[in-house]
Amino acid sequence: MIQPQTHLNVADNSGARELMCIRIIGTSNRRYAYIGDVIVAVIKEAVPNTPLERSEVIRAVIVRTCKELKRNNGMIIQYDDNAAVVIDQEGNPKGTRIFGAIARELRQLNFTKIVSLAPEVL
Amino acid sequence: MIASPLLSVAGADAGVAPRFSVELGQLGHPQSKYSPKPSKLFCFSNRNGHSLQHPKCFWRFPCNTTLNLTTRNSHLIYAYGKEAEDSFFSDASKDTDDMYDDLFKKHGKVVFSRKDQKPVSAEVDDDAESLSFAVEMARVASEVKAADIKVLFVKPLVYWTRFFIIATAFSRPQIDAIGSKIRDLAEKKYGKVPSGDLKPNSWTLLDFGDVVIHIFLPPQRDFYNLEEFYGNATPIELPFENQPPFRA
Repeated sequence: MIQPQTHLNVADNSGARELMCIRIIGTSNRRYAYIGDVIVAVIKEAVPNTPLERSEVIRAVIVRTCKELKRNNGMIIQYDDNAAVVIDQEGNPKGTRIFGAIARELRQLNFTKIVSLAPEVL
Repeated sequence: MIASPLLSVAGADAGVAPRFSVELGQLGHPQSKYSPKPSKLFCFSNRNGHSLQHPKCFWRFPCNTTLNLTTRNSHLIYAYGKEAEDSFFSDASKDTDDMYDDLFKKHGKVVFSRKDQKPVSAEVDDDAESLSFAVEMARVASEVKAADIKVLFVKPLVYWTRFFIIATAFSRPQIDAIGSKIRDLAEKKYGKVPSGDLKPNSWTLLDFGDVVIHIFLPPQRDFYNLEEFYGNATPIELPFENQPPFRA
């Protein structure tokens, strides 16, 4: 359940460390974003000497949420943190590698690039 | 740290209640060198055993392979007759025991297995089919002058696909040409429609399910370096491969 002002970790090596959601892309007046949703975020903390800087506005895909993800077969996946992957306007990830486990729902949502860079797909 | 996903599977109806939970800390995914977390806790629990027929069966995961999450068999649930012998439930009547003995004789020791499980031969057939499709797609890409085409057999590494095709194109119109030609052929000859990028992109991805095609511009190919990430995958020899490898 990501909403504006939520802070998220960054699950890639793009150079950002922490994001804050400022808008959920999609329908207007949408309250919460879940895994696979695109958000507009601002970088609150960045690794020094990387292309991305603090207070830059970027787009990101949510890849992990503390709110549990339910599947039709009854399986529930819940992560320990909220994390996102920084993407550009075309949907390409800004980093080259993804960290941690991600859910396979991202592939159905046409984020196969992120899935193919991930070390582990649940 | 990052992710301790909690997976739980729960049945729906009430019945005999075998429970199991498996700590996966040490069984986790040994190859995940990019995930720096020390351990993960997975809990699989089946409360009700909805299609359990034998009251003596003890449900368990075959721990050696099943819980490795990269394999295709990751969520199989077996009840082995061997476990039935050291069972918890000893109040079943003799008649049912005989009945189940007959069932064991008829069906073997596995009394429950996942429905969509394929025999090994079907799996090999599927692999061969995907391979022919992948090689055909790579041939099409090479006809449109894509460079440095690589076909990787990634099935042992990731569960979600079988083959990767990685190719370099030198301009967006060329990416468009490769993509549309691949789409046309796949639809006409194999009846497959890809998901993924519709417009030419610096990294264009066509997802056919079993085969995933990546078409890069030269800088992006170097940047993402997918071949290195899938360095353990088996490269497939291509019959038409006689062009010198391209490096930007």
